Amino acid sequence: MTVSENIQIAAERSPALVRRISPKTVLYAALSTLVVVFCIVPFILVIVISFGRKVDGAGWVWDLTFDNYQRFFVGVLWPDEVTFLYLQQLGNSFYFAVIASVLAVLTALPFTLLLTRLKRSAQAIWLVFILASLSMSEVFIVMGWDILLSNNSGLPKLFQVTGFTQWLKDVGWFQTLRDIGLANPRNVKFKPSGFATILTMSYLVWPYAVILLYPAFSRLDPSLAEAARTMGANRWTVIRTVTLPAIRLPLMGTTLLLFVFLLGSYVSVSVFATPDKQTTAVAIYSNIRGSNLDAPFGSAQAVILLISASVCLCFGHLLNSKAEAR
Amino acid sequence: MARMNRRTLLKTGAGIGGLAAAGSVIGTPLIAQSRSLKVGSYGGYFENSFKEFVYPEFTAATGITVESVTQPNSADWLVTMQQAVPAGSIPTDISLYGRDSMIKASRIGGLIAPLDISAIPKAENLDSYFVFDGPEGPQGVGAMSWFTSMVINPNEVETPGSWTEFWDTEKFEASLGLSNVHSSGLLDITAATFFDGEETMMSNEGILAILDKIRELKPNVTLWWNAESQMEQGMKNGDVIGGQYYLDVANLMAADGFPIKATFPKEGNLQDYGSWCLTTGSEKSAEAAEFMNFSSDPATQALMSRKIGTAPLVDKAMTDLTDEEFAFVSGSPSIKPAYEAYLDNETFIKESWDKMLAES
Repeated sequence: MTVSENIQIAAERSPALVRRISPKTVLYAALSTLVVVFCIVPFILVIVISFGRKVDGAGWVWDLTFDNYQRFFVGVLWPDEVTFLYLQQLGNSFYFAVIASVLAVLTALPFTLLLTRLKRSAQAIWLVFILASLSMSEVFIVMGWDILLSNNSGLPKLFQVTGFTQWLKDVGWFQTLRDIGLANPRNVKFKPSGFATILTMSYLVWPYAVILLYPAFSRLDPSLAEAARTMGANRWTVIRTVTLPAIRLPLMGTTLLLFVFLLGSYVSVSVFATPDKQTTAVAIYSNIRGSNLDAPFGSAQAVILLISASVCLCFGHLLNSKAEAR
Repeated sequence: MARMNRRTLLKTGAGIGGLAAAGSVIGTPLIAQSRSLKVGSYGGYFENSFKEFVYPEFTAATGITVESVTQPNSADWLVTMQQAVPAGSIPTDISLYGRDSMIKASRIGGLIAPLDISAIPKAENLDSYFVFDGPEGPQGVGAMSWFTSMVINPNEVETPGSWTEFWDTEKFEASLGLSNVHSSGLLDITAATFFDGEETMMSNEGILAILDKIRELKPNVTLWWNAESQMEQGMKNGDVIGGQYYLDVANLMAADGFPIKATFPKEGNLQDYGSWCLTTGSEKSAEAAEFMNFSSDPATQALMSRKIGTAPLVDKAMTDLTDEEFAFVSGSPSIKPAYEAYLDNETFIKESWDKMLAES
């Protein structure tokens, strides 16, 4: 008996079975397997590792301990001593992500509104340009700003040669800059600082903000605003009562998305942030790939960061649905 | 199946025998030529110098060709190895480890294989400290040594005679670049400068006292660098005018005309060293032994000092290095890292260090 005969007989015996294994089912099964293998398994692995135990002076071992989670909230020496170092880092993650995402959306808002009023061809050119700028990686952007803010090649040099530094010294403001860490005795300095970090992070997500806002803005019906104007409302009243409410949802959505994206930002923070403003993302890396090989604690930090981000997303979603219900 | 009779069997046998005989004649030089070894080193200028100057000498001496592999100089490599060794796809036959990573690798187990020291007679040239005895026997042979040195910008500041001057805010306000990794030597340097050195590092109280001292240094530090390149750029750009940096790279930068000067203050500079370790599962243990033997030769040590800028692990008297060449890569006094403290008290030191840095 040949193989083809076998198949034929099987097909005759159970036509239902053959119909069920259609190409569509195979495709679904393959895609599900891909999702499970490449998304869910690594995810579960991180969660499982977070219950592992670090062996001082070596690597780590599988275990089932909650010590890593406890350490995140009170430090390794608890109960003898308490430290909120890791909560502080989580706070810094939120601090930078909130400010940078809001700043990016606020500056992208007027730009995108103006963009939608341009001619179609001009809009297309701008959009292509902005899309192209997305291809620059975080490393590249940070490197660029690093040069722009450096003493001999960037803004501080410009300040010095134009005499601005000397002027600052003459009027006495230079001392204030030194006090807040934006100058050394020789010249102004812009890095490391919160300013440089937020600037780079906003710059990083700014093209995303424009691209996410653009579809909603381009669908705005100009006749609404025109009607309001003809009924006597001034320009500001129109923006406040007609335009902004119409784009509130995409604004919220974009801010939330950029916020979550920036929570995991690594390069800008590790290069530009001062040591007291380092974030959870940097701490995770230093634990997992750094010299101490503490993958369990790094994983626990990652899980907590993920939970925090999810809570924020749920909260944002709740606000949105409440606003829509009204 | 074709039936096999005595005649065909004999014929086939003769054929195979003939082939084997031919192979043994033609094949011998081929096998000798194809002896090869995958050796890891730290990439960039460091690895290029190895490829250009050291490996060719080794191939000329032994006929073994070297395939160079880029690896990081940190525990990062252990993570890679932990995944690669069980999977049976080892990236190198020999890797280069710092002492702390090597001890970690030996304690994790199954990453670095024991060595047959009798096959590496020239390891005798090294101080016995540099042949690492792990739990499974000898597991590492010293390769080269490097200093983390005090560096300053000679155009901006006079050369300090002691590390204590870094604490002088009049001189260095918001101007220094130091490493932000707990085990990168600032603890050891501070311990040697203000306390009893390694002894102070051995207790929690000692660590906290040292950290208190480093806390006083914070207003003078503008750059807590993470990657070597950040400090390099910082010195070149004038963002920092002093700090800690690798002696060999600093001297190379100075030779290229950048405003950097490496100096040995009276307390000394931090000296660490790298070891060659055989990867578990490698089938090239004989070739690896030959490579380690070659590396332990005083002539090779001197070659590395000249071409790569590392300090030799053998007595200067055994090499033909001139005083000037030696001063370029080495100096005294040397501060040894408190490896034991870093390994056994790792979690406490890291968290206390991070806490100190995170205070505003």
